[in-house]
Amino acid sequence: MGDWEWPLILFTVLGQIAIGIIVMLWWLDRDRDHLDTQLFKQGVYVSGGLLILALLASLFHLGHPEVAYRALAHLGSSWLSREILLFLLTFLAWINLFWLSRRQTSSHPIGADAATITTAEIAAEGQQSGNRSLGLGITSVLGLLGIASSAMIYVLPRVPAWNNVGPVLFFLLTTGLLGALVTLVLGRKLLHPTQKKLLLQCSLGCTIASLLFYVIYASMLSASMEGATSLNFLLSSPLFWARALLGWFAPLLLLVSMLKNSQVAKTNLILTLTLFSVLGEVLGRALFYLSATGIQITALF
Amino acid sequence: MSKQLGFLHNSEKCVGCRGCEMACKNEYQIDAAPQWRKVFQLHEEDFSLPTRMFFSMACNHCAHPECLRVCPVEAYTKRDDGIVVHDPNRCIGCRLCTMACPYDRPQINSAKKKVEKCNLCYQRIDNGEQPACVAACIPGALELVEINDILDQKTGVLKTLPGLPSPKLTTPSIRFIGPKQGKQIRRD
Repeated sequence: MGDWEWPLILFTVLGQIAIGIIVMLWWLDRDRDHLDTQLFKQGVYVSGGLLILALLASLFHLGHPEVAYRALAHLGSSWLSREILLFLLTFLAWINLFWLSRRQTSSHPIGADAATITTAEIAAEGQQSGNRSLGLGITSVLGLLGIASSAMIYVLPRVPAWNNVGPVLFFLLTTGLLGALVTLVLGRKLLHPTQKKLLLQCSLGCTIASLLFYVIYASMLSASMEGATSLNFLLSSPLFWARALLGWFAPLLLLVSMLKNSQVAKTNLILTLTLFSVLGEVLGRALFYLSATGIQITALF
Repeated sequence: MSKQLGFLHNSEKCVGCRGCEMACKNEYQIDAAPQWRKVFQLHEEDFSLPTRMFFSMACNHCAHPECLRVCPVEAYTKRDDGIVVHDPNRCIGCRLCTMACPYDRPQINSAKKKVEKCNLCYQRIDNGEQPACVAACIPGALELVEINDILDQKTGVLKTLPGLPSPKLTTPSIRFIGPKQGKQIRRD
């Protein structure tokens, strides 16, 4: 069985929230001018902060963090090298977003006199909006590739529980789920009700997909002895049931009730839902490392 | 790669004295915790003999080493003679190789916070000597051999033993001569 890999838990979950926020901002920005400038700025600052924390946390996993730069040396076959490169490129792309957010002027207030807006101002805004969308798109793509690389590190023939599509799928679903919810928290006063509804629907889709794929994944585990050991560990661990309650069942109930009763604007519900989901995903990631059982020598010592 | 060096272990000769483990520790003055070489005892049900049977295992210098594939700092290299060499000076202690090796042979030295493993005494081999563990094996159970088809076609040479991971995972460069099934006479 594995260990409590706190640096890796923090790196993966915080990194996935950071990139999830950028992906959601990009999604909301797909129709020009529909992304509030204030939300864009908040999203960029929070995602940057989380990305820096994630990268710092990852260093604590290393025996010698002072030479962490060497991890870029084996791009040919090591997914860890590729992950580091892609996360560094994502960070560079984020710096561009930060620079754009500093230059971004507020959009015209609703009800502004159309006659007072000059053609030059409209052109400048269009240019800003185009740059913003491009910046968000590039950061999102690099970030998602980074997350896929993170997951591929664990696709090891030695560990049957990881040697499948599971890690990639679950890492991307965490990105979608927590990215949507944290964006919802940031934009609870700035998003239109339709945008809030979209983010809630995205969260619901990710939660349902996560639960369904987990059931399929768990049924696949029993195919090998080591996989069955991982499954037994999971099912007998109170942490797993806490993860199921906090990360799947409670969010599902809240999401369905919020969407059904059109309670998309209730801040307390949004905060509770986000807290549950974050805790559920952190526990899920801890279990990912704890339950890993590798093929090994079974002869006596 | 011109050839593939590896080990041939004869469980029929091995008495489980752990002299190979000690020789390895002596040669490199390894700290207490990491065991580059380790002697394992076979489960009795795998070979129904009224005696204890052993095999000795260090890094298997696999033909397809997972440690080399996953290492982000290129601390692992494979020489022309097939020896997988780990350079501790490049290691950053990410421990990914320890997760990837099905034989648990790269091991973390918690004092140095770096991974260590058997390098098949390549400096001794380059000087025409035997590896320390092979030289120290009193019953001659451990041999340095070239892994090739000729060896694999010999009668009694096995690619794996019960209790070992499938050789399909990394194609390890170790061969075994398993314990012979003896005749047991029951006296009622």
